[in-house]
Amino acid sequence: MRYIALSILFPIAAGVYLLVRKEPKNRKVLLAMTGVFLLLSAFWAALAICLGGKGMYTLFNLTDRLPILFKIDEVSILFSVLAAVIFLCAGSFSFVYMKHEQKEKRFYGYYLIVMGVFTALCFAGNLITFYLFFELLTLSSFPLVLHNGKKESVMAALKYLFYSLSGAYLSLFGLYFVEKYGNTLTFSAGGVISEQAAAGHGGILLVTAFFMLLGFGVKAGMFPMHSWLSTAHPAAPAPASAVLSAVIVKAGVLALVRVVFYSYGVSFLRGTWVQSAWLVLTLLTIFMGSMLACREPVLKKRLAFSTISQVSYILFGLAVMNGDSIAGGLFHVLCHGFVKAALFLCAGVIIYATGKTRVEELRGIGKEMPFTMCCYTVVSLGLIGIPPMGGFISKWYLAQGALSSGIRVIGWLGPVVLLISALLTAGYLLPISVHGFLPGEDYDYGKLQKKEPPLLMRVPILVLTVLSVAMGLLPGRVLDYLQQLMEKIV
Amino acid sequence: MIMLVILIPMIAGVLIPLIPFKKRTQMEVFLEGIVILNSLLVWYLLLHRTESIFTLANFTGNLSISFRADGMSMVFGGLVSALWPFATLYAFEYMTKEEHEKVFFMFYTMTYGVTLGISMAANLLTMYFFYELLTLVTVPLVMHTLTREAILASRKYLYYSLGGAAFAFIGLIFVIIYGTSTNFVFGGVLDSEKIGTRTNVLLLVYVIAFMGFGVKAALCPFNSWLPRAGVAPTPVTALLHAVAVVKSGAFAIIRLTYYSFGIEFVRGTWAQNVLMAIVLFTIIYGCSRALKETHLKRRLAYSTISNLSYILFGVVMMTPAGLVGALSHLVFHAVMKICSFFCAGAVMHQTDRVYVHELNGMGRKMPCVFGIFTVSSLGLMGVPGLAGFISKWNLAAAAVESGNRMAVVGIGCLLVSALLTAMYMLTIVIRGFFPENDFDMDTIKDVKDPDWKMLLPLFVFSFFIIAFGLDSSRIVEFFGNVAAGVY
Repeated sequence: MRYIALSILFPIAAGVYLLVRKEPKNRKVLLAMTGVFLLLSAFWAALAICLGGKGMYTLFNLTDRLPILFKIDEVSILFSVLAAVIFLCAGSFSFVYMKHEQKEKRFYGYYLIVMGVFTALCFAGNLITFYLFFELLTLSSFPLVLHNGKKESVMAALKYLFYSLSGAYLSLFGLYFVEKYGNTLTFSAGGVISEQAAAGHGGILLVTAFFMLLGFGVKAGMFPMHSWLSTAHPAAPAPASAVLSAVIVKAGVLALVRVVFYSYGVSFLRGTWVQSAWLVLTLLTIFMGSMLACREPVLKKRLAFSTISQVSYILFGLAVMNGDSIAGGLFHVLCHGFVKAALFLCAGVIIYATGKTRVEELRGIGKEMPFTMCCYTVVSLGLIGIPPMGGFISKWYLAQGALSSGIRVIGWLGPVVLLISALLTAGYLLPISVHGFLPGEDYDYGKLQKKEPPLLMRVPILVLTVLSVAMGLLPGRVLDYLQQLMEKIV
Repeated sequence: MIMLVILIPMIAGVLIPLIPFKKRTQMEVFLEGIVILNSLLVWYLLLHRTESIFTLANFTGNLSISFRADGMSMVFGGLVSALWPFATLYAFEYMTKEEHEKVFFMFYTMTYGVTLGISMAANLLTMYFFYELLTLVTVPLVMHTLTREAILASRKYLYYSLGGAAFAFIGLIFVIIYGTSTNFVFGGVLDSEKIGTRTNVLLLVYVIAFMGFGVKAALCPFNSWLPRAGVAPTPVTALLHAVAVVKSGAFAIIRLTYYSFGIEFVRGTWAQNVLMAIVLFTIIYGCSRALKETHLKRRLAYSTISNLSYILFGVVMMTPAGLVGALSHLVFHAVMKICSFFCAGAVMHQTDRVYVHELNGMGRKMPCVFGIFTVSSLGLMGVPGLAGFISKWNLAAAAVESGNRMAVVGIGCLLVSALLTAMYMLTIVIRGFFPENDFDMDTIKDVKDPDWKMLLPLFVFSFFIIAFGLDSSRIVEFFGNVAAGVY
């Protein structure tokens, strides 16, 4: 039990300590401290997962009916493992990258706090705890967005903040009703809505469920509240963008998993207008995100649009609400997390070494940094979904689930949209590799310089690449794990 | 005993200009001593209260000036007497920059007694008497600086308040005629036999009286005096225009609704719908105006307008649960808003800056003040773990419980308002802590946190914001008892 508290409070306390303490004289001291804090946080989280047990752990009570409690279940483990891996990789990457940014101490402080808050979000055992840390996540992560202090960044951070808060308040609306018509606020597989209490109030409950979907969907970049994502993620420094895009948006996914499968319950929502509306929104987002990414000339923005589209793959899987599709969606949580973090780190390396941000400037980049671009290409293939990469498996399950779901029109339209989007994904990711490795005959090889980044930057990228390949080659364990979970919640 | 706590501050106030203090410190010690003593007396009285009514003067028939401490008095009187010593302490430091402070402290201290009079009035007439008195003793405080702006503002304040009281007076007369007595009795005093078929007339009177008391509670469209009155020194704006005066309005409305007309009489009628619509409109209106306002104290004043209507929203739900929500917001908002006003005052005191766009980088130089301002902002937004969340939760839960459709819309209004609150408060926080790159920190290099007299109240209030947020079960249970008429 105390490991859960440690895994949450330790990173938060460490982050606050970094924020409050004086600027250390030597940069290395700061890095060493941050490194130790990061490793310890990940270690506590690992201990919490291994030894935390299945029991509920109440920290304290806000009121008699509102306990702040934590519980570790399969979903918690999935998301917290993802978070730990990516926070460590992006963290070690940032040790080099942040050299050319200012106010490093502040960056690491908030970075650690965000890590703790996200862990808490994974381990949250009821809706009120979840809501608390959901708000804290927004409040602690916006300083990462405005880090460089330029006017655009500050505006982007404000946009992020207010979009996220409006989402949180939309979902709070639903929370009041779940509290009233549910047996409990504690997450339990299959939902908590009490049939007796809800009898005759089905209409309003569906409306509130839809509000919750929309509200938490903001964090996941779901249409119509997606536009903050493509503004805020590129504004942050590259390691922070990686964390934001690969992990923080998953808080929205986690929220929707908790709301749909652990609060309202599949049986309550399946076949209602809420499901149909949600499906339509996710498909729209998938398509629109990919289209916007295609015409975006700035690399980091392009990746952010890609996140909008890819996260809605996951949401589509959840919205279909059958075992295969949900498993595919949750599998994609990991795939997309590893891939997108790697992509943002690659973009960071390019900015760090060459200062180039726009796609058309990247001609011949593969000759300058072959290692980085190889990794970039491999993970891109994973995102497009070419077998045997991870993205293929998640899409396979998503499509299979949709086709066997028996939902009219969407049942076949969904897989079609997925395919079109895969094509578009290839269209916006691969040209960079192609032009990077094959710059054309007029490319001046005389000026060519090797600009490979230092080891501390290459290792995280390599780790993430290997992980995303491994997801495709050895998916069995994860899939078995997800299948077991499906039996409980569907 | 009750008379004592009301009279001590009033007499002490009058004495201040008469006593020849040699040094300012002597006056400070005298005043702070009186205020603390009185607060302790109030708390003693409230914790060991008796049900008996103390009658001071008896006019004709059932008209009398009489006092009694009941559950509602405990809430409001306890709140006021807890805040006053801290506000006085803060005022000592703040007023060093202002002139003729003796006059200021005279009226400031008298207001304490008058507010306690409102909280412990046992019938409508007594409350009405102190309510008018409150207007009269606070007008000099508003016009304290004697600038043209201040005089105009105080005139506006005076006319609005007196006009509102006149409307409330109509309600008083009808209660005298159609009620069994004018005493406050939980559940109302109206006599249904006397009313007969004149229900609609009485509902109309109720609406008029509600709006009349609503003037002090800054109900739209009678709210414009409150931002204007922000010209007063900050201790006044913080304590009176965020707590004592405006909450007297809300308190009077609670007395009118739950103790005179009775919720059974009004619930489900057109009067409830009309009032709820006005209240909800005020919630949104106040927030939107606050967002537009660039003057820091006026922004907080508009925020007060909106938050007062949260309280009234709880009141017009006309259920015990709604009253619990209203009471919790009455107390929690008082602490949060006085805290944020004091922060604004501390910034003004240290830097003479009053507009939001002048606050760039201040958080770096005044970490304590801005840190506490952040806490109170998050509290007002309703982040879980802070007091504002609990009161909003109680209000929303009551609205869901009541089954009233308009109340469900009201939850939506609360949440929209919470978002707007986030916008107008957090932009200040972000400016303070994260100035843009091109901002030159050298322009504010002499700015620093104020001394302990200003900081102590801030720390105490922020502690309570967090404490109420983390563990509110006992205080909410107490509110529940008050709302159920146990006390």
